[in-house]
Amino acid sequence: MLPCTGRIDESLLLKAFENGADGVMVVGCLEGDCHYVNGNIRARARVERVYQILEQIEIGPDRVRMYNLSAGEGAKFAAFANEFVEIISTIGQSPINKARSGNSQPVQEVES
Amino acid sequence: MIDNPLGAIMIVGGGISGMQSALDLANSGFKVYLVESAPAIGGKMAQLDKTFPTNDCSMCIVSPKLVEVGRHRNIELLTHSDVEAVAGEAGRFTVTIANHARYVDVLKCTGCGLCEMVCPVSFQSYFPEPPPEVEEEQQSKKKSKRKADITSSLTPRPTSEQKWSFRVDEDLCSKCGLCHRACLHEAVQWQRKEVASIIQDKCTGCGACYVACPEKFQAVIVEDVPDGDKSLGVALHSRSEVLKKIHAEDRGRCIRCGLCTIMCDKVMGPSALKLTDQGVEVKLDACQVCGSCISVCPTDFLAIDKLTDKEPQPLLNEFNEGLDQRKPVNIFYPQAVPRVPVISEESCVKLNTDFCGTCQTICGVGAIDYKQLGSSREIEVGSIIFSPGIEVFDAKLRGEYGYGEYPNVVTSIEFERLLSASGPTSGTVSRPSDGSHPRKVAWVQCVGSRDVSCNRDYCSSVCCMYATKEAFIAREHDANIEPTIFYIDMRSFGKNFDNYVERAKENGIRYQRAMISRVFEDPISNDLEVRYIDQNGVRQVETFEMIVLSVGIQVSDKTRGLAEQLDIELDRFGFAVTDGFTPLATSRPGVYVSGAFNGPKDIPETVSEASGAAQAASASLAKVRGTMLSEETLPQEKIEEPGEELRIGVFVCHCGSNIASVVDVEDVEAYAQTLPGVVYTDKPLYTCSQDSQEQMKDIIEEHQLNRVVVAACSPTTHEPLFMSTLRQAGLNKYYFDMANIRDHCSWVHPTEPEKATEKSRRLMRMAVANAAQAKPLTELEFDVESSLLVIGGGVAGMSAALEAADQGFGVYLVEQQPRLGGQVRNLKRSWDGQDFAPFLESLEMKVLGNENIKVFTNAAVIDQGGFVGSFETEIITPTGGSRIIKHGAILLATGATESRPDIYGLNELDRVITQTDFEQLLIDEPTQAQELRSVVMIQCAGSRCEEHLDYCSRVCCNHAVKNGLKLKQLNPEARVDVLYRDMRCYGLGELDYRQARLAGINFIQYDPANAPPAVEAAQDELSISVVDPSINHQIEFTPDILVLSTGMTPVDTEELASMLRIPRNEHGFFIEAHAKLRPVDLPSEGLFMAGTAHGPKNVSETIAQAQAAVARATTILSKKKLKLSGVYSTVEPDNCAVCLTCVRACPYGVPEINEEHTAYINPALCQGCGICVAECPAKVISMGRFEDKNLAAKLQSYNEKAYANVNGGD
Repeated sequence: MLPCTGRIDESLLLKAFENGADGVMVVGCLEGDCHYVNGNIRARARVERVYQILEQIEIGPDRVRMYNLSAGEGAKFAAFANEFVEIISTIGQSPINKARSGNSQPVQEVES
Repeated sequence: MIDNPLGAIMIVGGGISGMQSALDLANSGFKVYLVESAPAIGGKMAQLDKTFPTNDCSMCIVSPKLVEVGRHRNIELLTHSDVEAVAGEAGRFTVTIANHARYVDVLKCTGCGLCEMVCPVSFQSYFPEPPPEVEEEQQSKKKSKRKADITSSLTPRPTSEQKWSFRVDEDLCSKCGLCHRACLHEAVQWQRKEVASIIQDKCTGCGACYVACPEKFQAVIVEDVPDGDKSLGVALHSRSEVLKKIHAEDRGRCIRCGLCTIMCDKVMGPSALKLTDQGVEVKLDACQVCGSCISVCPTDFLAIDKLTDKEPQPLLNEFNEGLDQRKPVNIFYPQAVPRVPVISEESCVKLNTDFCGTCQTICGVGAIDYKQLGSSREIEVGSIIFSPGIEVFDAKLRGEYGYGEYPNVVTSIEFERLLSASGPTSGTVSRPSDGSHPRKVAWVQCVGSRDVSCNRDYCSSVCCMYATKEAFIAREHDANIEPTIFYIDMRSFGKNFDNYVERAKENGIRYQRAMISRVFEDPISNDLEVRYIDQNGVRQVETFEMIVLSVGIQVSDKTRGLAEQLDIELDRFGFAVTDGFTPLATSRPGVYVSGAFNGPKDIPETVSEASGAAQAASASLAKVRGTMLSEETLPQEKIEEPGEELRIGVFVCHCGSNIASVVDVEDVEAYAQTLPGVVYTDKPLYTCSQDSQEQMKDIIEEHQLNRVVVAACSPTTHEPLFMSTLRQAGLNKYYFDMANIRDHCSWVHPTEPEKATEKSRRLMRMAVANAAQAKPLTELEFDVESSLLVIGGGVAGMSAALEAADQGFGVYLVEQQPRLGGQVRNLKRSWDGQDFAPFLESLEMKVLGNENIKVFTNAAVIDQGGFVGSFETEIITPTGGSRIIKHGAILLATGATESRPDIYGLNELDRVITQTDFEQLLIDEPTQAQELRSVVMIQCAGSRCEEHLDYCSRVCCNHAVKNGLKLKQLNPEARVDVLYRDMRCYGLGELDYRQARLAGINFIQYDPANAPPAVEAAQDELSISVVDPSINHQIEFTPDILVLSTGMTPVDTEELASMLRIPRNEHGFFIEAHAKLRPVDLPSEGLFMAGTAHGPKNVSETIAQAQAAVARATTILSKKKLKLSGVYSTVEPDNCAVCLTCVRACPYGVPEINEEHTAYINPALCQGCGICVAECPAKVISMGRFEDKNLAAKLQSYNEKAYANVNGGD
């Protein structure tokens, strides 16, 4: 949990992959409704950059994704989580995990 | 006012209004008693799904306030309580409070909700009269004459899953053979005069023998019952839950589990049920219709209408507007504060017949007390604020809409619950008749508003906006919905409301100006037909699948009764009577009022009034501020020694069975012991209960813990509690972390206990890893300068200055004009007909004569620095000299002026004037005004249009009505025609609007897009033409004068706003910190605003807002020191490259480059979002609790292996 998705930076997202995540979900406030004015917009930009990095280093860009929700949307959060797990299950294990002894870890979620 | 007043204030009504007043007062040094008659605070706002015009989730924004009120040291909550009597006078009232019995101990209850879960009752029982202990009713149970068989087309299929075992006790058996006869499986062996015995191989465990054995013998014994140690009721519930899962496919079939008969006989008492070959036999006259058998039936085989010939009375959930059922023991709503149930005296079986008692047996903390009695208490206070709120109009009184008859006609508040994610349909918009998703939905406005026929002559002020919001959100939930709103006038008069309506239109919401007279239902489809006359005068018939009645708001009878107790004057609708210049004071000195009870209003205005009432109620008590507070004494904080080993304590909470029923708590605890640094673990039943907290302090002491991790519920609600316990134990409160294994594990993964346990282990491990990295943080304290700078000397500024001076603060009042007074100098009379001149005169005298107020006229602010509690502002005075003043807060009241656009000949022709000019003519030159033969007024002249003012100025409609009536009073023969778009005479202004129509003033609606009024203006003659849609014809006027309602425009504050870093909207009004709940706060700490600088409003609203802004400022100025959160960003100056990235990134403009030429972040201003930490390219900014190493620790410990590797394995 973070005060704001605006606190996330690229290195933290990459660290999650380094630590064995197959996918990372970043969940922030609805756009235009950020508790800290515009932190979620900045987070979106960083997630986009990580997307490109993941593409370049051939880990797979779709493994990181930003979602926006209000605090009252529990059911929607569950739907998003299931959707993302579905996506990651289809893509399969991250190359980092594959390289490491083939001992995989399930999907990681980073919430905010 | 007496000489020795009390520094305590009572607030009656715990909705958003009462909560805001309570927080403002408690944060300003007063003891607060908050009385609420419902079981929990929150009021109407807690019931709403979203709020206009931002679509913010209502519960999300209100629940932090609920928690803050619930935890505040100086607020005493008296829920489920009513005011019985009020004696005494301002300064020292004695209030008698009746505290109704809850039958649950508020201090012991942890709010786990198990009692509600196991309670089997879901209907209002027909309890025997007189009570059974007086008459031995039970004896007659076998003599029932009216029996019925409950069967189904599916033959019973007996289950033996999770079966309980039964045996006959030889000593107790009376050898009667009833058990033998009752058994349907020939499993009871019995012969005359012999003891019965059970053949276990044949027994299915239905318990028919157990039920049949007479009460006086109790020879059949039940064994191997999971949860049987608690009570039979709990055991039945547990088995039912298991069977529901196993027999999910057997819906409607009797599985002969016997739960219903055991429940009815052994738990509830009536013994109305018996198992038969075909199903269940019921004694109709014995059934008490409590519904317990239905709640335990795993297959929905039983239904209430088959059990009884009496009318079933479902227990309806009031919070969900009766759209679903509740139990007799009920937590008012999930986020309730206090989250403590009330047991209903009317429906609880235990309280009425002494049977059952199941809830008491499951409660792990012994909070349930059936013997609890109501109590009465006298409380002495200095002032009283009355904020009882409102109820909605009873739509049955307008029978033509079919509410209560047609299932698909619902009220707006019901629809609000249907939209709510925590409501009865989990946020799905579905039709009550068949659960289908409606496509065409209509809203009918003004049901119980603007309606003389049912004594609701006033406008409810909020319905146009909430209908728009509901239509908006309905489409968000289901894009197939096509909403239509039928309305008379679209009264979107508040700040940004018109934009909201425009957005709604773009979003597919249709607005139809028409009143529908009647709704007809198609009895087969339950669709609803409405007829109306459209804008072209053509009669239309349209069918909708659902109709929402936008019901108005009204004062309840209960509130009227309370007002009588308080001895305050009400108008004929039940709203409080107040004076236009003291809008929050009632007729009884010392009793103040706020919220919709003081006239219909929306949430921001309510919140603003609530702060205002806090000010009004406390100003006269300023000298006794702080005399009735309880202060916490804390031990010295331990300082960690260098190299001190980690000693982490982990507490894994059962939360009754909330967590433990899914998550293997013992496993998680055992796992915690293996983690590096963990030296102590525990698994309390309820970690948050008061005794657990006391124990936690001792454990920290005894085991020398230096970090604490709690794996339990949500940190949002519970972290502050645990952190304060740490602090009380002498630890820095930031040596703490929490894992939410309830919401994130047991609640969301109830069907996967193993995975839920695995996830709990992981979340707990991550919290431990993070706690190991925790650093002690200091909460900085700053001295507060106890004076206020008020910028702007109009009514808002002067009122604020006087109010602040009454609180005992020094005030600097800066006005750029040579004289105080502002725009109101140009106005004549208030909405309630009072003259402004004497009021202004007296206000000015009081301000100038007050020794606490220093007035600077002809002055301006030229420089400003500092931060909340300690600002420094440079002002320039008429002599040209500048002066630096020090103050703790700033209040902006820069005001607005009447707009004078060059339209329709204004500023050019003498005959074309504004409403303000016209008012001056009417009051100052009445003889001249009397001569006027004919007057035309054009509303929205240069308002609500893109070229001039792109917003509604809120006051013009009422102003036009007031002026029109005045002219009619001077000369009843004068003709007045008002050309309007929507008459926005909100609230009680509607009464004058009606008066105006009765007085013969013509109101003609025009269409600004297609047929705006055409004005041919020459110096000697005016000719105006407009198309009147009601006759679809062009009409011409040649009036003596044309009066334009031009609206108001804010005073130019561009320079000031940029100096003070205050955001302004595109129209130049200041933007509040939060549109709903912080309406007078500016986003920067310590800055507040009042009056028309915030948005258009009338003088009474301005005065209330000035009081509000002072109340908000008082929460700062009344403190000697301000304590700030320990979580803020700091720059490590040595490595700062001064790249300005943080300066640009901060949404609050906090980072600056200091004299040492490095970036500096003032902790007093930092909001703690961490954006700069992430943006800083050199990584030299860090923020306590969320440093890179904290987040890295969490990420690393997510992976068990990686964590073990780093920590040397285990």
